[in-house]
Order: sequence, then C-alpha cells, then structure tokens
Amino acid sequence: MPSASERPRWQAVARARRWNYAGIVALVAVLCAAPVMVTASYYRYAGVLLVMYMVLATSWNLVGGFTGYVSLGHVAFFGFGAYCTGILADETQGSVILALAATFGITTVGAALIGVVALRVRGASFVIVTIALVYMGSLLAQGMRSVTGGSSGLDIAPLFTVSGRASRHAAYIVTFAVLLGIVMALWNFLDGTKFGMGLKAVREDEDRARSLGVDTTAFKVAAFALSAAFVSLAGGLYATWTGFIDPIFVFSVQISAQIVLMTLLGGMRSLWGPVLGAAVIVPSSEFFLVNLPRMHLVTMGVLLGAVVLLMPDGIIPSLRAANSRRRPPAASIREDGGSVAAGDPDSAGEPALIANGATP
Amino acid sequence: MSVGVRGLSKRFGGVIAVDDLDVEFVPGRINGLIGPNGSGKTTMFNIVTGMIPADSGEVTLDGRRITRWSPNRIARAGIGRTFQVVRAFNRMTVLENLLVAERRAGLGELLRSAFRSSEIDRAMGWLRRVGLDHLADADAADVSYGQQKLLELAAVLMADPQVLMLDEPAGGVNPVMIERISTLVRDANAEGRTVIVVEHNMDLVMSLCDHVVVLDRGRRIAEGDAASVQADERVLEAYLGV
Amino acid sequence: MTRSLFVQAIVFGVLTGGVYALMASGLSLYFGVMRIVQIAHPAFLFLGAYLTYSLHNALGWDPLLTLPITVPAFFLIGVAVQRLLLARLRDENRAMMSVLLTFSIAVVVEGTLSAIYTGSYRSINLDYASKSFELFGARVPYDRLIGLAVAGLTLLALFSILKYTRYGRALRATMQHRDAARLVGVDTERVTAVGFGIGLATAAVGGAVLSIITTFFPSGHWEWIAKLMAIIVVGGLGSVGGAALAALVLGVTEAVVQVWLSPVWAGMVFYLFLFLTLIFRPQGFFGGRLAQRF
Repeated sequence: MPSASERPRWQAVARARRWNYAGIVALVAVLCAAPVMVTASYYRYAGVLLVMYMVLATSWNLVGGFTGYVSLGHVAFFGFGAYCTGILADETQGSVILALAATFGITTVGAALIGVVALRVRGASFVIVTIALVYMGSLLAQGMRSVTGGSSGLDIAPLFTVSGRASRHAAYIVTFAVLLGIVMALWNFLDGTKFGMGLKAVREDEDRARSLGVDTTAFKVAAFALSAAFVSLAGGLYATWTGFIDPIFVFSVQISAQIVLMTLLGGMRSLWGPVLGAAVIVPSSEFFLVNLPRMHLVTMGVLLGAVVLLMPDGIIPSLRAANSRRRPPAASIREDGGSVAAGDPDSAGEPALIANGATP
Repeated sequence: MSVGVRGLSKRFGGVIAVDDLDVEFVPGRINGLIGPNGSGKTTMFNIVTGMIPADSGEVTLDGRRITRWSPNRIARAGIGRTFQVVRAFNRMTVLENLLVAERRAGLGELLRSAFRSSEIDRAMGWLRRVGLDHLADADAADVSYGQQKLLELAAVLMADPQVLMLDEPAGGVNPVMIERISTLVRDANAEGRTVIVVEHNMDLVMSLCDHVVVLDRGRRIAEGDAASVQADERVLEAYLGV
Repeated sequence: MTRSLFVQAIVFGVLTGGVYALMASGLSLYFGVMRIVQIAHPAFLFLGAYLTYSLHNALGWDPLLTLPITVPAFFLIGVAVQRLLLARLRDENRAMMSVLLTFSIAVVVEGTLSAIYTGSYRSINLDYASKSFELFGARVPYDRLIGLAVAGLTLLALFSILKYTRYGRALRATMQHRDAARLVGVDTERVTAVGFGIGLATAAVGGAVLSIITTFFPSGHWEWIAKLMAIIVVGGLGSVGGAALAALVLGVTEAVVQVWLSPVWAGMVFYLFLFLTLIFRPQGFFGGRLAQRF
C-alpha cells in the first residue's frame, strides 16, 4: 500500500511548516533589501502600502483562515490603532514607540471584549456586526472632537526622524517587513499547535468541535484579539508614516474589502495566500487609482464577486488540489485490497456489495 | 457514570418536543432509546449535551446538575456523542479529525504541537481499532459514509468519555458495517462506559441493549429490558397508532 | 430639551421609522427565500434614489411618478441577480460566500454610482417637500409624511401579496420548508427568483422616498445596512412585524437622541441596540421561528 512507503502526510506538512520559517526570513530579507534597488519615491511609497497590506491580510487571516469567520470590519481596528497611537503619543510627550506598544495591548483587551459579544453570532450576522464596528469607530472618531480632532483629523509625530520622503518610505518598508515576519511566523506557528487545530475544527464544524470538548468561544476570542492587535499596530505605524489621521480613510469599509479580497484570492487556508493576494491586488489597485480612479471601486467589486463565484478557495489551495490530483491517492476507497482489510466501505446496504467478497 | 433527566420540557413554537420527561439511564450498561419519529429522542440528546437549552427541567450527570453547561464543558465532564447525520471535519485528514479530540488543555498545552508522537500513537491506536489506519492521511471528505461513521465514533472515543451517546449509529450503513459498529460499542461498554443508543433498527436494539427506554411524543411510555419492551402494548400502539 | 422639540423628534422618528420598516421587510424576504443576508439591498436603495433623481431632472417628473418605471426595472434586476449570480453559489460555505457575493454586488453598485454621479451629495427639491403642517405642536413635514404613506402602502401591498395571492402562498411555503414545497409542486427556483425581484422592487420604492426626504451620496448605503441589520437583530429574524416594531422604536430613539445629544450619538443608537441585543437576547425581542443563528 502506498502509505507505508510514503512519508505520512502530517510529517510532510510539518516539514513544510519548518521550511516556511526559512521562507519568511527570505521574504523579509528581500523586502528590506528592496529599497536599495528601488530608489524612486513613488515606488517606495507603493512598497510601503504593499508590505502594510501584506501585514493586514496575514493578520486578518489569523481569524479568517483558521476559524472561517469572515470579518469585514477589521479596518475598525486599523483606525482605532491609528487614533490610539496618535492620542497616546500626544499624551506621553512624543514616545511613539511607547504609544505603539500600548496600542497593541489596549487593542488586545478591547478586541477580546468585543469578540466575546460579536462572536456569539456566526456567518452572515457576524459579518454585519463587524461592519457595524467600523461605523461605530467612524462615528466616535468624528464625534469626540476634543480628543480626536473630529472630522478635521489628527496630526501625529513620526516614528523615525529621517529627512527626505524617500528615506522615510524606506524606513517604513523595513519596519512593516519586520512586522510582517513576526505575524507570518506567528501564523505558521499556530498552524501546527493544538490551538490551531481547535480553530480549524471551528471552521469545519463548530458544533461538533464543542461536542468534542473544544472551548470554541475562548479559542475564537483569542484568535480575534490577536488578529485585531496586529491590525491596530499596523494602523498606528501607518499613522506615524503619513503624519496625519483622516477619520474617513482609516475607517473605510473599502480597506476591509480589499483585505478580504486579497486573502480570498491568494487562499485563506495557507500562510502564503494573503501575501500572494496582496502582491496581486495592491499594485493593481494603485494602477487603477492613478490611471482610472473612477473605475477603481467597480473593478474591485467585480474582482471580489468573480473570486467568490469562480475561485472561492483561492489560488494556492487550487494549485495544491491540482497538484495532488496528479499524485497517486493516499488510499483507494474502492479497491478490493483496501476494502477487504477495512471491511465494507460503502453505505446504504446493498447485498451485492457484500457478495463481492468483502468479508470483515 | 449515570445520566438522567428530570421534568425536562422543550417546545419549538407550537411543537412540544419533550414533555415533562423523566428518564434515568442505567450506568455501566448499554441503554437503548427508541420511539417513533418525533418522539423527542434527538431533542433530548441535544439538551443533555448542551446543544440547545431546555425550557424547564434538569439534566444530571452522576448527581451533578449540568443543565445550563456549555457543550464543551459537558464533553470534558465525560459525555461524548455522535450525530444522527454523520459529521466530520471535512477539510482535515482522518488523523487530524482524531487529534482534535484531546482532553488536557492548559495554555501551555495548547501551544504545543498537535502532532506529538504520544498523541499520534493514541490516535493511530484508535484508527487501528476501527480499521481506518490505512486512511489516516485521507481527507475526511473523501472517505465513504460508513467509514465516516467509524471515524466519528473513533474521534469520540479518543476523548475517552465515560458516557457514550450515539444517535442512530446504524443509520444509512449496510449490515456488515452495523456489525462492526456493534462490536465497537460492546467493547466500549466492556471498558466501563455507559452507553445510550438512539436507534430505529430494532434487531440492533434487541441484540445490543440491556435496558430500553421508549419515548412517544416527548414522554416516556415504557421501560425495561429489550424483550419486555418489545411485547409492551403501549409501545406497539405508539409505533403503529395514529 | 423642550417638550415641543421632544414631540417633534418623536414625530420625525415615526416617519423615518416607517421607511426603515419598509427596507427591513425587504431584507426579511431575501432571508426567507434563500437564507442569505442580502447586503446589497441598501445599495440598490441608493441606486433607486439616484435613478429617481436623474429621471426627475431629465423629465421633470415627480419622484413618486417614476415608480412605474423603477419598480418593474428593479424587479427584473432582482430576478436576474438571483438567477445569474446567487443561484451559482455552491452549497458548502453558502452562508459566508453569499455575504461576500452580495457585498461585492454592493461595491459594484456603489462604484457605478460614484463613477457616474461622482461623490458629491445629491438631493431632490420639491415644492411640497419644504412645507409642513402642525400636529400636537410639532411640525410634520409633508415629504416625510408622504414617505411614510408610500412606505406603509408598499408594506400593505407586500403583506397582501404574501397572504392572499397564490404566488404569496407558494412563497410562504418555500420560506417555511423548501423541500416540502417542492413535494407539493411548487417551482421553488422560480419562486425564489420572483421573491428576490419583489425584494428589490421594494428597494425601488424606498429609493424614491429616500430621494425626497434626504440628501444622498454613493457610499451612504453602508450605514444603512448596519442600521437595517440592527433592526432585524433587535426585532428577531423571520418576524416582519417584529422588524417593523423594532424599526419604529429605533427610529424614534435615534430622532430623540439626535435632538437631545448630538447626531453622532444618534447614529450610535443602532449599534448600541445591536450589541446589547447580542449580549442579552441574541435571538431578538420579537423573534419568529427563524430566529436562530444565521
């Protein structure tokens, strides 16, 4: 039988997971080195956006890919992170790093509390609740003028005191790349743990997971909080990069939509899916914004619809499936050899099947 | 471990599924739970395992009231169940399906690899017992319905429950598979587990169960050993009557 | 806050609540036939508003007189969307994918609107829109009153279709138990498509009303879906009456808070209710039989 001579699948997967770490390091190295080769300010600017979205998509995928819960409201944490960092940086007289760290912590706790409520519902309801979160954030940001500056936005001190736009962009590419490495490593790590296994069980059949003893609520909330915290960190970094927080932009559902689109396109259930999706979507989006700004939204909508209808699993799982179809199957269900050893494989008892010699 | 319900009631809109039900299952035995369709068997299962809340009444486990407990807490307390229509984690492998069902879980435990050799050995042991070890790497969605039933059973047993609640384990499978499932159930019982089986297959109930409870329209109408229940007039009426 | 202001707010809230109720009932219809949440419904509401605006500007028609054009058009669009797009979703993961699909439809609609009309705010100014009459010391604007009347009539029409026509019976059967309906000969595919068409037709009506009572802009629909979902969660899924009641309660609360505190807090009312309901009574307050987790 094939499985005796082949390496068991879980071992192959574990090996791949270890190689992923090397891949992550390589990716981060390439991204950090990129500014050396790309010196034009505009391309560096696009580079920052690209890596930032890679971070956002991978963080989002901590929830989406593992639990299957699709949040269209993650941008709420992005906006919250931006404002939290901005306000705290003001209060602490300029220690942006401290503000960022505090933002991470505050978001973890806050998102956990929100998650306890929001994750009480599933599927479509959950999506709507997350959208509501975005609107709540937007309203609060615009309403609490004394703290947030209202609709006029908030200024914020930069993280690096480098002179020159291009150099600043380079610094932020490196910063986001390091953050990306951390989030990807975390995703990869969790993928192989019991925690990750439990989350994936939630995705496959939440009620059955509970009946097997998995504390699905705690698991979901933990993943949600972690994911939100990293998104908020990215938001804070983004704010220090632009130097200014615009409440309309940082709380726009479109950002959420793009994150979902790129992760879906690349493949929700893999480590590299979000990164791949970002690499496709962000440059395309920038292209549209610059050359055909009026068609930007429509294109994004059509793309998302197309992916949902035609390729809901994304690029990477589709490739995997095509690949595994070429290899011989791990076990053949209908072979006579298999069925003699395992007993009768087929359901809905037809006497003819038993008569085929498949004795227990 | 003993399982019982007292004064249990549940209605869905206008339909009374369970009506002031009192049942005490015999610990350490294989209990059968039978009754015509709509008599409340699966609803009772769902309430006992915490899937749906009861309107009133209590569920007890070894004397403890577990009525408002969450499903995962009840599972950890020792109750394992299978479902009427087989459920599996489709996009995970057969082996991974079993690895989900593990008991211990402190925070440190959760962050350790899911694929440690101790866990894998246990899982493979169970897979060997149900005859699915050669399919360990197959996706759960790709195996046949009968094999999925075995998989579901193995996963539940992997969690080492003291009470095993099986909802129509013989549903939709051929006689050879039924025999295998029966053997597994008997073995599980021999290991000291209390078993409760909902079944429509009367032959299976007669051969397997020591003690049978009959429900009709949400109430218990008969109880006793298999033979006496089979001969009970009220039971015949319930199945054949209007 | 003076008493007259308070009464004013209540009147306003009731009038707005009526429109919310109409829109929420459309959503219930989609959920009933396909068990999906049609996020693009408010986007079509805004599409309706823009179409009404264009027809009004180009032909000088009263917004309500554009309904004979927009309602059938939207009905056809609804049927097309259901048949060509939504029916293609595979069963596994349907709940999630349908949300994403309707989300993408909403984005496409918004994108089309902003491409054609740009992002500036539009509104329709009518003679009677700025007039009002007195009721219990409160000003009742004619435009809102007409909006309420139209919404009420449409809801009544919807209710009558559901209750008294053969199609309505088939629709209710499909909503309650699809397979059973098929067994008694109902063409559930067609019923579902028509159900969708009707749902979108109510968006056309809502759009015309919207164009009269407020200014609108392409991305305004996101706020509506959040509000409508809050209404449905609070009211309980499957209960059209519950949704209507919740719409009125929330509409009035929003109006009162707007006068009492600020527009920001008024907007928060819906989300607060949503979260409170999720915490304390996830199945909704007036919930029907469908009020399970969807």
